[in-house]
Amino acid sequence: MRLISQNRRKNFLVFLFFFLAMGGTALFAKEGTQEMGQKMTLLVLQLAIIVIAARFFGIVFSRFFHQPRVLGELVAGMTIGPYALGAISLPLLNSPLFPRGEGFLPVTPELYGLAVIASIVLLFMSGLETDLPTFLRFSLVGTAVGVGGVILSFFLGALIAVLLLPGVDSFISPPALFLGALSTATSVGITARVLNERRKMSSPEGVTILAGAVLDDVLGIVILAVVVGISRVNASGSEMEWAHIGTIALKAFGFWIICTVLGILSANRLTRGLKWLRSNDAIAGVALGLALFLAGLAEMAGLAMIIGAYIMGLSLSQTDIASELRNRIHGVYNFLVPVFFCVMGMMVNFAAMKGILIFGVIYAAFAIMGKVIGCGVPAYLMGFNLRGAFRVGAGMLPRGEVTLIIAGVGLSAGAIGADLFGVAIVTLLIASIIAPPILVKSFDGGSGLRKESLLKKEEKGCRIRLEFPSPHIASFIRNRIIEAFENEEFFVHRLNIEGMIYHIKKEDIFITLQQKEGLIELSTSEENRTLVSLIVMEEILALKDLFEAVEKLKRPELVCEELAAGLFSDDEEKSE
Amino acid sequence: MNLKKVLSPEDIIISLEATSKEEVIKEMVDHLYKRGKIEDREAALQAILEREKKMSTGLEKGVALPHGKCEAVKELIAAIALKREGVDFDSIDGQPAQIFIMTLSPLNRSGPHIQFLAEVTRLLKSKEKREKILQASSKEEVLELFCS
Repeated sequence: MRLISQNRRKNFLVFLFFFLAMGGTALFAKEGTQEMGQKMTLLVLQLAIIVIAARFFGIVFSRFFHQPRVLGELVAGMTIGPYALGAISLPLLNSPLFPRGEGFLPVTPELYGLAVIASIVLLFMSGLETDLPTFLRFSLVGTAVGVGGVILSFFLGALIAVLLLPGVDSFISPPALFLGALSTATSVGITARVLNERRKMSSPEGVTILAGAVLDDVLGIVILAVVVGISRVNASGSEMEWAHIGTIALKAFGFWIICTVLGILSANRLTRGLKWLRSNDAIAGVALGLALFLAGLAEMAGLAMIIGAYIMGLSLSQTDIASELRNRIHGVYNFLVPVFFCVMGMMVNFAAMKGILIFGVIYAAFAIMGKVIGCGVPAYLMGFNLRGAFRVGAGMLPRGEVTLIIAGVGLSAGAIGADLFGVAIVTLLIASIIAPPILVKSFDGGSGLRKESLLKKEEKGCRIRLEFPSPHIASFIRNRIIEAFENEEFFVHRLNIEGMIYHIKKEDIFITLQQKEGLIELSTSEENRTLVSLIVMEEILALKDLFEAVEKLKRPELVCEELAAGLFSDDEEKSE
Repeated sequence: MNLKKVLSPEDIIISLEATSKEEVIKEMVDHLYKRGKIEDREAALQAILEREKKMSTGLEKGVALPHGKCEAVKELIAAIALKREGVDFDSIDGQPAQIFIMTLSPLNRSGPHIQFLAEVTRLLKSKEKREKILQASSKEEVLELFCS
C-alpha cells in the first residue's frame, strides 16, 4: 500500500512537471521552433543544475553547519547564479549557463516564471499549514506581539531608507515601502526547531511566538499588496496622494478579508465537492489548480499572486482533507521550493552591494531591533518579564519565504534595485543565522513570566519520552501514535516539512510530538498526561498483536531461505 | 468532554456481586447486554478479555479500566461498577480494585474513545473523589460525582 501511495505521489509530480513544460512550450510556440528549442534546452539544463546544487548545498548546510536547508539553497543560488559561476561561458553552449536577463531581473523570464510558480506552491502550503487554532487560542497576546513587531519593523525599515538612501525622501517612495515591508515577515520554522530542541514549544513564549508569527505572515502579505499597488501608481508616473494610498490599502484589505471569509465559510462545501472526485491525487491536483487560479485572480485585482495562493491554503487548512493535501503536495513542494530559494539567491549581485555595504549593516541592525523591541514590548505588557519578552522578540527574528517573495516582487517591479535586493537577502541570512544561538541562550535562566501573570497556568507541563532501538521502529510507532490521535478526532499538524515535529490539537488540548532518531517525545500539560499515556500505551500494546501475528506467519529464516533459493540457478537447471 | 452523553444512572452497578477479575468483567458485560447496548455478548466479552491478556487494566489506587474494541457495539458504551471490598485485578500497585469503568467501542471507527477513559481517570485522581464515590448510596449520586 505504501509503495502504491509513493508511486501515486511520483506520478503526480511527473504530471505537474509535464504540465509546466507544456505550458512553457505553448508560450514560446510563436517564437519559432529553433529558438524555442534552444530556450527549452537552456531551461532544462539550468533546472538540472539548480535542483542538484540546491540539494547539495542544503544538505551541507544542514549536516555540517547545523543551519536550515533554505539558507544552503540561497547560498547555492548565489554561487551558481549569473553574478558568480553562472556567468562563465560554457564551450558546448557557447554562452553562460545563467545568462543575465533583460530588464530588472538578472535571470531569464522562463526561470523566473518557474520561481513564481514555486512561490505559489510554497504559499499555498504555508496557508495549509497555518496554525489557526493556536492563533485563536492565544489571539490576544499573539495579535499584540505580531502587530507590534510589524508596525515597528516596517517603520524602522522605511525610516532607514528615508534617512540614508539618496533620492528617497518620503515614506511612500517604493524603496522605502519595500524596505519597510521586507522587515515585517517572520519565518517560524527556524524558531520552531529551536523551541522544540529546548522543549519550549508549549511554553508561554513558544505559543506566543507561534501565534504572533501567523499574524506576521498575514500582515506581511497584505502589506506587500499595498506596497505593490502604491509602486504601480508611482511607476506609471502619477502623483501619489494619501487618499489614493487609502484606496489601495482598502482594496488590499478588502480582497484579503472577503476572500478569506468566503474561503473559510465555503471550505466545507468545497471539500465535499472535491471529495466527489474520489481520488486523493485528483483532489490534490484540483486544489493546487484552484490555488493557481486564485493567485491569478489576485494579480488581476492588482495584488500579489501569493495572496491568492495563501488564502486558498488557509481556507482549506481546517478541513479534514488538509492533512491529505499536505501529504500529496509534499512531492511537488519538495521539488519546486528549493528551486525558488536557489533562484532568489541567484539574484544577489555582490558588486552592486559594495556601494551600500554600510547601509546594509545599519538596515540589518534596525530590522533586528524592530522585531526584538516591536514584539518584546507588547509581550512585556501582556505579562512576560524582561527575560520572557526578549525570548519572544528573539523568536520572531528569523526571516524566510515571505521576505524573499516581497524582495523578488520589488525587484521584478523595478521598485528596488539589485543593491537593495542584495541587502534584503543578506539581512535575511544574518537574522536567520544569529537567531537560533540567541534564542537558545535566552532560554537559560528561570521563568519568562512576571509573578502575577495570567499566562502562568500554561507553564506546568509534562513530557513522555519513549526510546526505541532504531529510528525505523520509532518512525513506525510515531505514525501509529499519530493515527491513534486522528482516530480520537484530534487535528494533527506537521509543523515543518523538514523536521519531525507535530502539533496535536483538539479543543483546549494541545500536545507536541517530536521524533529524533530513535526517540519519541510527547509534551503536554500535566492535565492531559493521562490521555497521552493511555493512547500511547494502547498503541504499544497493539504492537504486541502485530509481532505475534508476524511470528505466527512462518519462521522468518524459512521465508528468507525460500526467497534466497534459486538465485544462482541458471536457465539450464531451471529447464531441467 | 461531557460524560453524561455516554453515561446514565442505569449504566452504574452500585455493588458488584463478583469476587474475581473474570467475574467482574462478565457481570459488567452482562449488565450492558441486558440493557440492549451489546449485540453479541460473547464477542464483547472476548474483546475485553483479550485486552486484559496483553496487560491488566487494573491501574492504581483501586481503579480499573477494562475496555475493548469489537463489532458488537455501534457506538462508545460505558458502565461503572463499585465493589467496596475490592477484587484482585492484577493492578499495577498490587492493591485490590474497587472502582471499575468499562468501555466498549466499535472497531475501525474514529471517536473520542480513549479520551473518555482519560477523562474518567483524571476525575478519579483525587482521593477525596474516590472516597466519596465509594460512599455513595445511589446510582444517581455516583453519576453526579463523575459528572461534577
